[in-house]
Amino acid sequence: MYAAAKVELSRCTGCKLCILACPDPNVICFLADDKKVKVDVTRCKGCGLCVAVCPKAALALEALTESEPART
Amino acid sequence: MTKQMFRIAPGFEEIMPQEYRDLVTHGPYDRNVGVADLGTFKELLEEHPLCAGCGLALSLRLFLASLPAPADTVVVGSTGCSAIAFPQVGLHNIHGLFGNQNAIASGLKRALKLRFPDQPKDVVVVAGDGATADIGLEMVMHSWFRGENIATVMLDNEAYANTGGQESGMSPRGTVLNMAPTGKKFEKVAMPEIAREAGCAYVATTSPLHARRFEKAIRRAILVARDVGSTYVQVFCPCPTNYKFRPDETLSVIRKREKEGVFQYREYITPQAQEYLAAVEGEKQ
Ligand code: SF4
Ligand code: SF4
Repeated sequence: MYAAAKVELSRCTGCKLCILACPDPNVICFLADDKKVKVDVTRCKGCGLCVAVCPKAALALEALTESEPART
Repeated sequence: MTKQMFRIAPGFEEIMPQEYRDLVTHGPYDRNVGVADLGTFKELLEEHPLCAGCGLALSLRLFLASLPAPADTVVVGSTGCSAIAFPQVGLHNIHGLFGNQNAIASGLKRALKLRFPDQPKDVVVVAGDGATADIGLEMVMHSWFRGENIATVMLDNEAYANTGGQESGMSPRGTVLNMAPTGKKFEKVAMPEIAREAGCAYVATTSPLHARRFEKAIRRAILVARDVGSTYVQVFCPCPTNYKFRPDETLSVIRKREKEGVFQYREYITPQAQEYLAAVEGEKQ
């Protein structure tokens, strides 16, 4: 896991299209209160499908740095 | 299986993994959730070893979220990429030999009918194209001839994908793969037509590109299988690893095939199944 999807919250409208495109379970969660999505970077495989379907360009793949949370 | 089986004995909550606790507290059992609720409940599928961008993995996620009664469902699988994910699924599942999955499911369904006469138990076969259209075709077809009350879902990635990429009967003509260098010499096997002629009461082709449509096909297949007869759903789920496209292109590959008219969404429902669906779907509204 060297890259993971990151959400630009100001752009996310909470349409959930990314949740329906991600092949991995329990990665993108919907935050009902904010109507936004959140990505669990420790589970993301960095495939980029969510990025490809997001109509608001709110998602992007980013390289993970040393300071990212380690896999537990 | 009931949610009861997943409960953690009092005092042991602390030592159970977080994922397990999540499944108990906000898993989908005994709740009416569907694909539209994904992202808000703990999914039955846990982190799996399938490739990044795998269309089959996405289909499996959607499939598990589409089950009308997960607590009363048994999935019978077979050898293939999906089999690698099933040990991570919080649902009763059986791994058949390569090809006998529909025979296992037939026996299982009959036994469950006797054991639980008042409680519908859904038996769903989930297997790849190799197991369904090649190696298991005989047992698949005979389960349809007999009209067994089981749903058969083919995850069609158009190849033997986890053995390095051999062509299957479901690969399109001309397909060149790592271990099929000269190109496939014949057309994709016409499984939906075979299913219809073999007596299936409900037949659909779908893909994970349209999650709602996908869910509808799976639910219908399972409901019709409960009371009317055999059903078949063919899911087109492209494989980036063997077809050599980028993992972020899986859905656009489906869209492209749709546009070219090579892949079509189809649904065949017998009048009897239609009547049944009108009654149960009407009931829900
Ligand atoms: S990059 Fe792939 S695995 Fe990661 S969140 Fe997006 S779709 Fe899911
Ligand atoms: S080989 Fe293909 S079908 Fe199998 S897990 Fe990888 S992407 Fe999915």
